[in-house]
Amino acid sequence: MRRSPENHRERKPFRKRRRHDGQERPDKHRPREQPARVASTGSYGRELRDLLSGIGAPKPAPFRPDPFQLEALAALEFEDVLVTAPTGSGKTWIAREEIRRLLAAGKRTWYTTPLKALTNSKYQEFGDEFGAEHVGILTGDRKDNSDAPLIVGTTEIYRNQLFDALRGGEDVRVDLVIFDEAHYLGDEDRGHVWEEAIILTPPRIRMLLLSATIGNADELAKWIEELRGVRCGVVTRPGARPVPLRSAFLMPDKRLVPLLGEKGKLNREIAALIEQGEESRRSRRDSYRRR
Amino acid sequence: MKLRMPEMPPANLLAALGSYNLLPAIVFLPTRRRCDEAASEAALSRRGASDDRREARRDFMRSFVEQHPEIRDHRHWDTIVRGGIASHHAGHMPAWKLVIEKMMSAGLLDAIFATATVAAGVDFPARTVVITVADRRSNRGWESLTASELQQMTGRAGRRGKDKVGFVIAAPGLHQNPQRIAELLSTPPDDLESQFRATYTSLLNLLDAFGGFAQVRDIAERSFAFRNVLPRIHHLEKQRAQNVDRIRERLHRAGIDLPVESVLALERLASARSRLLEGTPQTRREMRQQWLNKVVQPGRVVAIGRSGKRLALVVARTLDGVTALREDGRHASFPLQRVGRVFAPKFSTRPEKAEEAFDEIHDRGDQLALPEPRLRDAQAGEEDSIRMINDAIEALAPSGLSGTERDGVVRALWSLQSEAASIEKANREIERLRSEIWEPFECCARVLDHFGYLDFANEKVTERGKWLADLRVDRPLLIGEALQRNLFASLDTTRAAALIAALAADEDRDYGELELDDAIVSLLVQFEEISFEVSTEEWKQGIEAVPEINFSAAAAAAHWAGGVDWPELVRETRAEEGDLVRLLSRTGEALLQIAGLRGTHVQAADLAARTAEIILREPIR
Repeated sequence: MRRSPENHRERKPFRKRRRHDGQERPDKHRPREQPARVASTGSYGRELRDLLSGIGAPKPAPFRPDPFQLEALAALEFEDVLVTAPTGSGKTWIAREEIRRLLAAGKRTWYTTPLKALTNSKYQEFGDEFGAEHVGILTGDRKDNSDAPLIVGTTEIYRNQLFDALRGGEDVRVDLVIFDEAHYLGDEDRGHVWEEAIILTPPRIRMLLLSATIGNADELAKWIEELRGVRCGVVTRPGARPVPLRSAFLMPDKRLVPLLGEKGKLNREIAALIEQGEESRRSRRDSYRRR
Repeated sequence: MKLRMPEMPPANLLAALGSYNLLPAIVFLPTRRRCDEAASEAALSRRGASDDRREARRDFMRSFVEQHPEIRDHRHWDTIVRGGIASHHAGHMPAWKLVIEKMMSAGLLDAIFATATVAAGVDFPARTVVITVADRRSNRGWESLTASELQQMTGRAGRRGKDKVGFVIAAPGLHQNPQRIAELLSTPPDDLESQFRATYTSLLNLLDAFGGFAQVRDIAERSFAFRNVLPRIHHLEKQRAQNVDRIRERLHRAGIDLPVESVLALERLASARSRLLEGTPQTRREMRQQWLNKVVQPGRVVAIGRSGKRLALVVARTLDGVTALREDGRHASFPLQRVGRVFAPKFSTRPEKAEEAFDEIHDRGDQLALPEPRLRDAQAGEEDSIRMINDAIEALAPSGLSGTERDGVVRALWSLQSEAASIEKANREIERLRSEIWEPFECCARVLDHFGYLDFANEKVTERGKWLADLRVDRPLLIGEALQRNLFASLDTTRAAALIAALAADEDRDYGELELDDAIVSLLVQFEEISFEVSTEEWKQGIEAVPEINFSAAAAAAHWAGGVDWPELVRETRAEEGDLVRLLSRTGEALLQIAGLRGTHVQAADLAARTAEIILREPIR
């Protein structure tokens, strides 16, 4: 039976009883109830209270770079750097600060992304940050300010420039190349373009690769190092996520239970639910056969 | 174990999340359609509720529309403004996705329903991420989520500076699998695997830049892919060196003054000989057995024993045995080698028909008997070769030795055969591993040679190949051949758009069923002939066939190039806006590539430039 969010507010008696006996374990014979909308987590069982504790916004704090961001910046002065960290943990900050440093020194940067949408948004972002006159964009169908000291574009276009330079016997006018979303190297259709770009980038050009977390970061860095004869450092965000993650399962009766139980195994309550479904399917099959 | 439990109605799901203070949330759903439906459904139930952000959303949308008028009449306008809910997937156009991302960041939305393929780098985190399926749709059908893909999704849970904790919540669904989600969450991220491969573009550019196959091969062998086979090659090389040392030492100890190569030569000769012998029966008995095994089949009459008088009709065969019906009407089983003669005709195995069969054999048995092969015939061909090999083996021992000395040397050489065999095996394996990366380039080179873009013998890019190297599109050879055969000469912008769109489109995506005029159909037919010719040549070289030409894409692009406005194009094709934008944008990019060939193809380049300008009008860029 479905209930609208409006009418389940009235079911307070259940909430009281639940708090009274402190039970979290579902009773098979009792019809399951939905949790009511509550202002605080005080009326939940302990398990649920733990799961939901601390929800909300942290106290506003002034921005301070993480140690891994500073480490990456320091390393980039002398060597290539592969940064692996999850989305939203501040990889772009590293790129931005390094670009700032190079622009001040009159040097040139190529910022590659795998997607046109991402290219456009970086173009906008860097234009706001460094002034539109310092930023150019190059994609398959867009070419603006292409002589700017900072170029944002797709990896394909960067690779094509390398091809052109090699064939024309010229040098690419870049001091730093940044590969955003560098894990695209593993993309079935387009990954080869990243590999070609990395192989063909002259060793004098510094390289900064920003990647999602991958299993073989060290191996990838080793390859780049052997390939280019320059050390390639790996910088990983310790503790992986900038915001801690908790996992839960939403039961069909809308109760929220932790996904994991003891020793990191699947919560027994969820396992029982799966088993119950299997059981009824089995008995239905059997009764069909008997007929 | 799959949960196979119905998906929770989206309104209920969001109400539940809301009751736990878990909004805003991104809910991942299996298909685009589900996302759209869920957003509309959930929004409907929230319209009545009071929401002070409604005005803010309306203002936000209105100011966004000033820069992106194409979303003015979007069918999900109400869903967002009044319900605070959005659907986000590749079927929507870029501007629409952008406004949703911005509104989410501004804290104006409560939920987004999205497909698992939400592209990397698109940044709209939420407090909670809801997973309803443990599978995702790929080019190869439904596949299990990988650890990295799940991480990509959970990476959006918990907004930096706005949340102290992020949540990933598994919700019931037909393809839900809580066990697997739990496992994937604790699985370390996947390894990045190389996708390095040969393409016409890379081959032509590298060959033109570096001037020879050896140099291109060198580049290919610097790939991450090749680095992964290197340890295996090194390991084999080490093994090989150890075996060479062992052979050298044992030759030395036995006082035999022969190079290691002699032992390897013996191994090669001996294995050549055994390959020859394997196919040849050694004895008459063996040869007969092989022959009987082949010809004694149910339905044939055979003679039992050498006399040739007792006949039987074969009704069944086992590996070495025969079951047959005798002339007296009784069944008998006997070993295959008791069969004497075998008669050619095949009869029915039904007992009532047996008499006819036996009558015929009695009448004409001598003519019908199958000739038995003779050992000499079977061996004659190979005998000469084997004699030559034997002579060569003999010649390996140094000359001027006495009979016993000679025997000793030969014995010593034979005793080193297992080491020699390992060396040969390692050689073959190393060669195979080394060619794995390079060989596909060579195949591409042969195809390009066939069409005159590359001179294989001289390892050079031809004049024609130089402009093809500049054409950086997905399938350069097809466009190259179309240019080469003057297919563009007689075209107008509408037809040029149709032609390039047919090629640039996803092979199996349907862009509606607009009618194509005869001129375009006949153009596409001509183009298909080129495509067939190219594919056939590629097939000969073992290159995977190119996808087919997409006629519905051609129709949609021709329509757009003809000047219809965007809402009309969407209405008439009934295709999804996001797909149309991608198609036309890719078509435009390919046209711009052709437009770059001004130096060699003035007319076609000019046409392509004009067409690109028409195609790449708002809202395509």
